[in-house]
Amino acid sequence: MSRDGRRWMGVGHSEYRDSGAAATAAAGAALVGDDPKLLIVFASIEHDASALLAALGTVAAGVPVIGCSTHGEIGPGGAQDGTVVVTAIGGPGFSVATSLATEVSGRQRAAGAEVAACMPETSDHPYGVMMLLTDGLVRDQESILRGCYRELGAGVPLFGGAAGDAWRMSGVYVLGGGRVVSDAVAAAAITSDAPLSVSVCHGFREVGEPMIVTNSGDGRVYTLDDRPALDVYLDRLEAPRRAYTDAAAFTEFALPRPLGVRRRRGLEARNVSTEVDIEGRSIGGSGMIDHGSLVWAMTGDEQSIASATDTACAQALAGLDDDLPIGMLTLSCAGLRAVLGEDGTRREADRLAKWAEGIPFAGFHTYGEIARIRGIDGFHNQTLAVMALG
Amino acid sequence: MTEVPGPPHLQLLELLAVMSSYSDEDSAMGGAVEQAAQALAAEVAAIVVDNRVTACIGFPANAVVDADLLAVARSERDSMDVPGMGRCPAVSVEWVGARRGQLVVARAGEGFSVEERSILRGMARLLGLTLTMLRTLQAEHTMRERSEREAAEKARLLDSLRQRQRLLEHLFDIQRAISRRRPLAQILDMITSAAQDLLGDEVVGLWLCDGRDTTRAKLVSGVGLHDDIAQQVPVVPLADAGATGVAMLTDDVVVRSGYEDTSQVIADLTGGKLCESMAAPVHDSGTVTGSLLVGSYQPDRTYGPSDAQTLRAFAEHVSLALTDANTVDRMYQAFRDSLTGLASRGLFLDLLRDRLRAAEHVALLFVDLDRFKVVNDTLGHAAGDSLLVVMANRLKSQIRESDIAARFGGDEFAVMLPGVSSANEASSVAKRILRVLGEPVVISGREFLVGASIGISLNATDVADPADLIRRADIAMYQVKRNGRSGYRLFSEDMQPALAESTAAVHVITDHEARSYQ
Repeated sequence: MSRDGRRWMGVGHSEYRDSGAAATAAAGAALVGDDPKLLIVFASIEHDASALLAALGTVAAGVPVIGCSTHGEIGPGGAQDGTVVVTAIGGPGFSVATSLATEVSGRQRAAGAEVAACMPETSDHPYGVMMLLTDGLVRDQESILRGCYRELGAGVPLFGGAAGDAWRMSGVYVLGGGRVVSDAVAAAAITSDAPLSVSVCHGFREVGEPMIVTNSGDGRVYTLDDRPALDVYLDRLEAPRRAYTDAAAFTEFALPRPLGVRRRRGLEARNVSTEVDIEGRSIGGSGMIDHGSLVWAMTGDEQSIASATDTACAQALAGLDDDLPIGMLTLSCAGLRAVLGEDGTRREADRLAKWAEGIPFAGFHTYGEIARIRGIDGFHNQTLAVMALG
Repeated sequence: MTEVPGPPHLQLLELLAVMSSYSDEDSAMGGAVEQAAQALAAEVAAIVVDNRVTACIGFPANAVVDADLLAVARSERDSMDVPGMGRCPAVSVEWVGARRGQLVVARAGEGFSVEERSILRGMARLLGLTLTMLRTLQAEHTMRERSEREAAEKARLLDSLRQRQRLLEHLFDIQRAISRRRPLAQILDMITSAAQDLLGDEVVGLWLCDGRDTTRAKLVSGVGLHDDIAQQVPVVPLADAGATGVAMLTDDVVVRSGYEDTSQVIADLTGGKLCESMAAPVHDSGTVTGSLLVGSYQPDRTYGPSDAQTLRAFAEHVSLALTDANTVDRMYQAFRDSLTGLASRGLFLDLLRDRLRAAEHVALLFVDLDRFKVVNDTLGHAAGDSLLVVMANRLKSQIRESDIAARFGGDEFAVMLPGVSSANEASSVAKRILRVLGEPVVISGREFLVGASIGISLNATDVADPADLIRRADIAMYQVKRNGRSGYRLFSEDMQPALAESTAAVHVITDHEARSYQ
């Protein structure tokens, strides 16, 4: 609860296998104040999303819900799989409007503009953030953000993540508008009378000399330095032979080794582990890499990721200026779990809890993080994206 | 995140790749504003054509403030209010062509550097060319449905379209050459040849300031010029350099007839046949530094706006190549020892750390020249430097491409042998290096025998710290020095007492011994 009593945030976490019971328990724990404005649900792909929605409709009738499936949930109990985490925000200091765009593939920009339209043109609240939860299996997620940015302009930060399905890569779900859908974007325009501070950071560093993307398109990189991208990338990292010929071995090798795309403010990490074409020798992921880009192979370890976690949390909290935080949303890349391992992932969650210092926090392991604060780019891989609510 | 250095032309390469995917003007302009905003991490980018905002990103969709954007486009203001971001520094660059236009960019926080303005100018130029091409294409498409009477016009337009297409292809090739870090001279020759191919004139010459003397220009690349004279790299005062000089002095495209204001050298280079010439200025990091000239021997040759636009595009690419060469030099210097071209100590340590972190086998050779000081003291620092270059080249000739050699400072070198885990293998490399470094060297007409002492350490056991591995090799090298120099030793545990001493103590002893030997 904020000092002036106008805003509150609560988080509930349930390990019940029964989806209805899990949603009821988690939402019950999250609803810690009057006048709830929004429920945000992060749930395992194993849960029955329709049952989740139905239970939430009973516990908090009339309160808008957005949510998605994950590659692991982050909450008060640490990092877990197979669970449900519900975040609730409310109080007169918040206003929320939600929207949902479906059949997004092939019209990502239009879908981005569509969901952005729920942000009010004028508001009594001086601060606003557009929160987006996208289907993580849709390619070219940047275009969703570009569509949003074209509608909202530079003044509204974007925050959110791409839904996961525990590496099954067969189908995620997104919750919005009272529906359970795939190939969709759910959005919540959150305005507040206190700052909403977004930050993002990755803990990867470049290896060796840069490469030039000499042919790319549709989220795939075909050639680097005029040679097949798969071979150049693996050569640069001196990968084991199996990664050259076996898609599963490639994915395992590439997951903790993103490509770093040169941007003016630093290297943007791009996961290229999920869209390998062994026969065509190309690589790719959910993020776009432009023809002509300067890229580096990158590596990281638990220490560098921990330091990025500290930076992201510190920056988000610092962005609240004099306001005390009432809660944090923490979205961490699924790819980081491959680097951290089980123990490291648990330690990362402990680190987040330490930063939260007793205030509620929740998040999930994503197939891509959304955090646009400056410039027009906002889709990330291998990062931690944090929103601190004042 | 810290700013990442990178050659500016790559942003243009990205823009070109994006622009070439659009089939109409509106979508090309929409793509260009996103690309410009992305390249400069700006919040706002807009295109103004004929005093009208034709594309914009960064404002809420229903709140684009045209008046502010137009004022920046006209260079009446250098900042603008962006909703939610406050007052932002803004910059505008113009392109000329069939339709004149401006590219406007605004960014919260800091203003725009000279390099960034130079990137924007290049972007505006490419945008102008693409829009002209798309407009021509659109006109051609419309004309398909018209009557035969317009066939001649259609042919002319088609020809113009082909010219544009060829221009873009040339520019693309040039940018690729810059990306590939081809030698600067080769890139400049490529540009003068492309200018000749496209404009169809008899001669092309690229003149650049003669070193720091900005009152004279020297010929650095040419096509169709008198070979004997061109090879002497003639230098001409700007006042006598005809169109070349005027373009540099006015920073604008100029056209001149015959040999107006030219020295005899120009007449000699062109065999007295020059009728008309046109020159465009070229810049290095924003400053005029030369000019690109085309000249015709045809009395009826006239240069129109389209020719000027083409020449400007090539001149802009000369500017990019020059700026890039400087950037690359700077990047190279940061990671390389400026004298020998070997890796710097910092780069070497980074690479070694990566190998050790990846738990790979690595052998490390610490090489100290034995009698370097004799040469340095007898013949001076310049001779000492020459000796270091010779030794560095010899050392490099004995290692694999995957091995890394670095100069650690003074006459100390280090060599990393990735994948080497056996003492035998490392020793055989050390022997080869000793042999070549021990061969006589002739410096300033005098022959010297230098030689080296080499210490070897392996990470086969438990060494995970680069400093430890280097210290071990250093201690082994010190043992060689103590036992009479010109040899190699593998670090062994019985040298451990020395290792146990503090780093400072080890260095004091090493320095002391080195002094007594040299």
